[in-house]
Order: sequence, then C-alpha cells, then structure tokens
Amino acid sequence: MSELDRRKFVKKAFKVSAGSMVIPSMVSSRKEMSDGQVSVPIQDFDMVAEVARFRKIDAYCTARPDMNLVEKLGIDRMYVGQPMRWLEWNPEEFRAANDEILNLMRSFPNKIIGQISVNPHFRRESLDEIARCADQGMVGTRLYYQAKISDPLYFPIIEKLIELGMIIFVHGEAQMGVGGYRMKYDIGRPPTISVPEDFVEAARRYPEGMFQFAHIGGGGDWEYMCKAFRDTPNVYVDVGGSNNEEGMVEFAVECLGEDRVLFGTDNSYFQGVGKIIGADLTDQQKQKIFFDNYNALLKRGGYHVD
Amino acid sequence: MWIDINGYIGQWPYQKLILDDCATLMHRMNRFGVNRTVVTHLNAIHYKNPQTANRMLYEELQNMAGMKERLIPFAVINPTYAGWQYDLKQSLEEYSMKGIAVYPKYHDYDISDVNLTELARMSIEYDVPVALTLRMVDHRSRFWMDVEKEWMLTDLMPLFRRVPEARYMIRNVANSTRLDNEDMQLMKKVQWLMDTSGRVTNNLEGLIETFGVDKFAFGSHTPILDYVTSRLRIEYLDRNEEEKDKLRYVNATRFLNID
Repeated sequence: MSELDRRKFVKKAFKVSAGSMVIPSMVSSRKEMSDGQVSVPIQDFDMVAEVARFRKIDAYCTARPDMNLVEKLGIDRMYVGQPMRWLEWNPEEFRAANDEILNLMRSFPNKIIGQISVNPHFRRESLDEIARCADQGMVGTRLYYQAKISDPLYFPIIEKLIELGMIIFVHGEAQMGVGGYRMKYDIGRPPTISVPEDFVEAARRYPEGMFQFAHIGGGGDWEYMCKAFRDTPNVYVDVGGSNNEEGMVEFAVECLGEDRVLFGTDNSYFQGVGKIIGADLTDQQKQKIFFDNYNALLKRGGYHVD
Repeated sequence: MWIDINGYIGQWPYQKLILDDCATLMHRMNRFGVNRTVVTHLNAIHYKNPQTANRMLYEELQNMAGMKERLIPFAVINPTYAGWQYDLKQSLEEYSMKGIAVYPKYHDYDISDVNLTELARMSIEYDVPVALTLRMVDHRSRFWMDVEKEWMLTDLMPLFRRVPEARYMIRNVANSTRLDNEDMQLMKKVQWLMDTSGRVTNNLEGLIETFGVDKFAFGSHTPILDYVTSRLRIEYLDRNEEEKDKLRYVNATRFLNID
C-alpha cells in the first residue's frame, strides 16, 4: 500500500471509529442519587456470579499462567508469551522460548494459545520463526525492547503479521523516565523501548495492521497512553497489569471507544477482572472488553473462538 | 456482611477521582453490598493543617441520615505539625473518630520520628488503631510532584519496635513483605491487621499461611483503586465460609472494637 493510500485508509477508519464511539457516564453513581441522598438501598451482591456472567479472553498473559485461578475466574482462553527479554536474544534463544510455549499449548489444548517471540535484529530467522510457530498454532506476537516498533527493523515482521492477519502485540510503556517522557527521572530502561508515540508512528505507516499496546495497567501513565492513541484507530490497548486504579477502563473507553479496549491480566488476574467488573460501564461494554473485541481481531485472520 | 477497612473521600491533587464524597461512597457500598467502611479524608494528606479536612469529614457525616452508623471515620494526624495533640483529642473525643491515620511520606517525617512514637503511645491510651498506608498511588504512574519511594513492610518495623503495644492497620501493601527473623518475631508480637487492597495480597493464601487468617481483612482503597479487586482476593480463596467471613467482617469488627 502506498503512503497516500494509507493516509486515506486512516482517515476513513477514524471516521468510522469516532462515529461509533460511546462516551460512558463517568458519574452514573451520582445520577442515581437525589439531592445528595442515597437512593439505592443496600443489596446483596454475588461477586462470583457477577464474574461468571462474562465470557473472557485474556489478551495478555505470560508463562506460566495460574491455571487453577484461570478456571475459577472463567477465562475461556489465554494468549500467552514468554517473559520479557530486554535486549539480547539470539535466534537459538527465541526458538527455545517459543518451543516452551508450544509445549504449554500441548498441555492445555484450546485453552492456551502461544504468542510468537522474535528479535527483529535477526530478520531472516525471525520471519522463519513466525512461519514455523504459526504452522503449529501460535497466534500473534510477544515483542519487547530489542527495537522500537517504529524502527524499520520491524517493517518486514509487521508486514508478515499483516499477511497472516495476526495481532502485533508489543510491550509498551509510558512513565516518567522512559523513552523521552521526562528523562531527568531516568529509571534505566533501554532507549529502544516502545512508547505510545512509536506505536502511533508504526500504526499510521501500517493502517491495515492491528497493534496491541500492552498494558495500560502495567504501571505507566494510563491517561497519557489513552490520550496518545485517540486518533490512531488501529492501536488497541489491553488493561492488564498490577495497577488497578479506578477509572482506568472507563477512561480508555472514553478516549478510544468501546471497541479498542481489551481484557488482559499480565498474570494479575484479580486486578484484570476486577477493574472491568468494577467499571462504570454497561454489561454490553464489559462483554466487549472481556471477550468480543479481541475475538473480533482474531476473526480477521480466522483465529477466533466460536 | 462486609466491612471495608480502607476507604476515602476527597480528592487527589494529581488525578480526578470519580467518587469523592460520603454520599457517593454510601451509594457504592449499597450497590456492592458493603455494610460499613473506614473512611479517611484524602485532602488531609495534602493540607498543611490536616485537621481542616478531618473537620470536613466530620461535618459531612453529620449531614446525612444513616452515615454515622455505617461510615467509620479515621482522623489524619500529622504529629510534626503544631497543635496535633489538640487535633487528636478533638477528632477522637468531639468528632468521635475511631482511629488515626498517618502519612509520614506525605507529611515529610521519618517512621522513627519521636512525635510519631508519642502519637502511637497516645493511641494506646485512646484505645484506637493507627493506620499505616504503604502506597497511596503507584509511584510508576505518579505525577512528578508526588512521592517517589513507596514503603515495604520492613519499613514499618522501627515504629513497631518502639511501640509494640499499639494496634496497627497496614493498608495497600504493594511491595515486598520480606522480613528477617528478628522482624518476623516482632510481627508475631504486635497487633496488626492488613487489608486486601495491595497487589501483594494476590497471594493472600500464602500470607495467611505465614501470619494466620485473623490478620487480614477486606479493604478496597477506594476511590483510588477499583472497588472489586480487593474483594475477589477473598471470594476466590480456597477457604471455608467461616474463614472467609473473618476476612469479610469478623476480623475488622474485632480489631476496630465496633458492634
């Protein structure tokens, strides 16, 4: 696709996205009160039953998942990658890492789907590895700090993933001291870490790509992240991570629309489920986040759950 | 029945909080079936004179029917600020507050500060607990003016060592709970109750195995953290209902000395 065509694609996609955006009420609890008085009497609330009402796909889990808890929380399917390697990662190592995930998939068929890890500094080997892993049922990627997602090193990999109809999952961060965000507070992350602006650049270059920014609950500034992606309709965020600040999910929906927010845990299962159950959103919106949105992305490549 | 030992009203200077007053807190409690909540005014953490916010909380509680029975107010005391003994007396006697909350990181004093030691000793005389919150907000996503270093469990030990007879509530434990043998022995002697809002309590089962089921209680850290996660940690424990009830309300009732 030429640069001009891509620009048209982005314009068109943004119009559709903006048109369907639902701005949730952030203060519905207040609306249900009259004159400052509490109008709803105390009621029993069966939390376990509430959690069970929603189908769930975990769009961000790292090996090894706690399968006991996964079962209890009713998570239908887990998309699982190997733990993060910051910089060094040769082909022998990332092949071994993917083999471990393939073994995990065999232990939990139809429950765990592996995500493919590669290092873009090894172009040929990475492309071969994507083909090898895709043949064995792995879907999507688990990419880390080896290069920014906007780095030309990633272009052939992104193009391969687009061809396969797979989600391009990249570890993203945005906090003080990371990748240009108030670097006087430098916290020692490598300069090749992908920040929201890098995702925007890559996503605008490849509007047909599906980019997943992981993870707005991972400790970074989630308001910054969500605001950065407002006008980039092919960037999706998962709400995974240990930070379960109130308002995070609602704010993501407000900025990105209800179709671009995904359920993820990053193995913080309670926070992953809890922040969505507790969000001031409709059941329909919650179901989209828990399951439908990610499944719709999977469907584009024929990898969806029935 | 549920008692939340870690709730707030008020605002955080660096981030809009959705539910910020007693009425919205009560509404949320009703919706999620929470009977009572320990409540502290967030503004007191950032006011130079925290007693202003303690009074705001007191006045708000006077203005709505049913609140005094269900909201359990804690006073924020800065023991390095002039007149804190008067503030403490006023809060506990005149305002009928049921506990003390301290924020050394925000009020810029050390856990070993002699004034904090005195405050802890006074809590024994008043027979009220002292709440210590290890994390207010995740330092990684903080605004640049917010505190950078969070506490670990071991950071509380100097106070526990100085005043082991006081009762301590430990809230939002997000970092290491590792203790050396000496501190572990100290923890066994001190009366404390830890809430389930902190990410460390994802492994609540392991903590209970180490410290016992009587040492933990439901606490949400609302409205900074979501209202559900802290409760899921209890609901999905592999424990019987009697033990879960201890976490839901029994331990809190005993520790707070309430009906």
